[in-house]
Amino acid sequence: MGLVFGITGFAFMIFAALLGARKRVPTWRVGRAKAWMRGHLWLGLLSLPMILFHGGFHFGGALTRVLMWLTIITVASGVYGAVLQNYVPRMMTNDVPLETIYDEIGNVRKALRMEADQAVESVCGRLGLVKEIDEGQRAGGFTALRPIAASAVPLRTSAGVSAGASAVAMAPEIVLLTEEESRPLRIFYFSEVRAFLEAPAWQWQCLGNPERAKKAFAAVRQLMPPVAHPALDDLLDICDEARQLMHQERLHRWLHGWLLVHIPLSLALILLGAIHAVMALRY
Amino acid sequence: MARTRTTKTVAQRIDLNYFKRPTSFKRARLALVILAPLLAIGWLAWQAFVHDPHVYSSGRMSGAHAVLEKQCAECHVEKTGEFSAKVADNACLSCHDGPMHHENQVRADIPNCATCHVEHRGRVNIVASSNISCSECHSHLKVSSGNTLYATNIRTLQDGHPEIAALRKNFKDPGTILLNHSIHMKPIRRGPNGPLVQMECADCHRPEAVKASWPYADANYVDAKVSYDTKEVLLPVKTGTLQPRHAMGRAYMAPVKFSTACAACHLLTFDKRFDIGVPHDKPDVVHAFVVKQFQEYLAAHPAEVRVARDPQRDLTGKPLAPEVRVLTSAQWVAERTADAEELLWRKTCKQCHALTSVKSAPLPHVAEANLTGRWMPHARFDHDAHRGFSCLGCHPGALTSKETSDVLVPPLANCKTCHAPGPDHAESRCFECHTYHDWSKRKEVKPTYLFPGLQTGGK
Repeated sequence: MGLVFGITGFAFMIFAALLGARKRVPTWRVGRAKAWMRGHLWLGLLSLPMILFHGGFHFGGALTRVLMWLTIITVASGVYGAVLQNYVPRMMTNDVPLETIYDEIGNVRKALRMEADQAVESVCGRLGLVKEIDEGQRAGGFTALRPIAASAVPLRTSAGVSAGASAVAMAPEIVLLTEEESRPLRIFYFSEVRAFLEAPAWQWQCLGNPERAKKAFAAVRQLMPPVAHPALDDLLDICDEARQLMHQERLHRWLHGWLLVHIPLSLALILLGAIHAVMALRY
Repeated sequence: MARTRTTKTVAQRIDLNYFKRPTSFKRARLALVILAPLLAIGWLAWQAFVHDPHVYSSGRMSGAHAVLEKQCAECHVEKTGEFSAKVADNACLSCHDGPMHHENQVRADIPNCATCHVEHRGRVNIVASSNISCSECHSHLKVSSGNTLYATNIRTLQDGHPEIAALRKNFKDPGTILLNHSIHMKPIRRGPNGPLVQMECADCHRPEAVKASWPYADANYVDAKVSYDTKEVLLPVKTGTLQPRHAMGRAYMAPVKFSTACAACHLLTFDKRFDIGVPHDKPDVVHAFVVKQFQEYLAAHPAEVRVARDPQRDLTGKPLAPEVRVLTSAQWVAERTADAEELLWRKTCKQCHALTSVKSAPLPHVAEANLTGRWMPHARFDHDAHRGFSCLGCHPGALTSKETSDVLVPPLANCKTCHAPGPDHAESRCFECHTYHDWSKRKEVKPTYLFPGLQTGGK
């Protein structure tokens, strides 16, 4: 009977592990992804009691003890991941409306910095910052990283690009402030905004908190002439997006961090389980 | 000058080949995916390198086999050309015999040693096999030949186990010693002129190994040699029963002996001329003793041959002329012996023993005692393990029993009160009382190991 439980439990594990294989080979169209995921979840979960019955709730010797703990940790991390997968995406939708592709957060943040630089330069003149160059194949045939704001840069003069046409039409006239007038913005930009865009953090930066950010921007706004207010609005918007990306990064770590435990341990489990099966048949 | 987010402006920030770029998360995952199996393999490879197959053990060995903990090959014998190295019965039988259960058990149902005695379950009692090991056969018992005398559908103590055989219908105690337990459990006079005493069970019933003094013993009888074998008073245990492997001096009550339990009160006096009683022995020994006592007495008192009628013995109530007779020595001894034996055979001995007289024989025949030493010959019981409980708690019948034929063994329900499944109860699995191997058929084995060879890895 114990052997039956062991074989069943290991078969469940193998099936659960095949989900990874199926993801790696998308062309392998055997069943629907949803069915595979359900099978992965339920059979993976059932493998734990099967293995516990197999061992008669004894952890046994060195290898079986390791296997038992690997099973427990793998299943527990899987359950933890399944719970997170149920809640975190919903949180992401609510809290991060400006969500982007996780792998591109670095690039987007770079674009936000460029955008912020240009917004400030549009009222304060050249800031003397070195332009960050990031080449890559982008939508619309662009290769260079492009910010969103229409005010930042004429998007493109090429007739082949329609995406930025309206933005070009909306581009406002650039009005430069005097050194004295622009001083508060410059100071605020370098001390708070740029620092936040380069290394965003929750606690110690005032822009990490939406309420505190609003108050900070309101204070700067009072020191600046009205002509600089649109640029400040853009900066506030950019900081908000950067904050959302920061939140997205954190949620993403929650959402996928458990896989760093689940996948490697499950592979070790399958490998050691196979060895255990062979040795158990032998002895 | 608000920032305008359109799908296109947002898309233009995204590198279309982003998925081809390694990220720190992807790199960490890949590294761990490679590292974890490598570590697992490395661990096993290291164990192989240091020649420690112990890693594949499914658990520690039982206490009895702890010495074999690192000697896998002693039991897991590898055979050339065979993948399997499972433990064969021969490995077990090289150290200890395992006699078969019953001669008429179905051969195909005989399990391997390891089926019942499961190893690698930690420092457990390997004798403690599961109920399933027994119920595999006893839940639907079949025999290879003839009919079985035993219950055929026993699964556990709680399920299907029959009542103790001695308590089943129509069973009587085969003993012939007349004993009224209830009289002995009440205050009773010690001897003809003794004080009232309250006896306790242990005054008569004790295991062999108990060395305490007997309150109702008579030193003359304890030290006396008898012509019969004390073991003869016990009924032999039926052949074919599975007796416990180890005899335990405190497990069973020893047969009650006259010398230690009865002699202080039940005097075997036979004549007013003597203070001593006859030996507690066979009639011929008693007869010889009585004759010898009278002969020696007459030698010391030759005037006794002149016998006068004892007026006390006249039952008519009328005055009778004194009758004086002069006897020869032989006549005198014969008459006195006849009187004494009349007392013994008709009263003293008969109070406890069943005596039958045969016309052709001068002396009566005393029936064999037929005491039952083991009421449960198929099971093991240890009085010593239950010493915390009062005797009457389990044997309340002793207070009311008046007949020898009463069986005072407690019913199985008493056992089930404590012996039940679950952590709050005493062990209830079959092995607690029963044994599988018929140790009466045990064969001796030739020693295999040289001390301390196993510890050092050699033989």
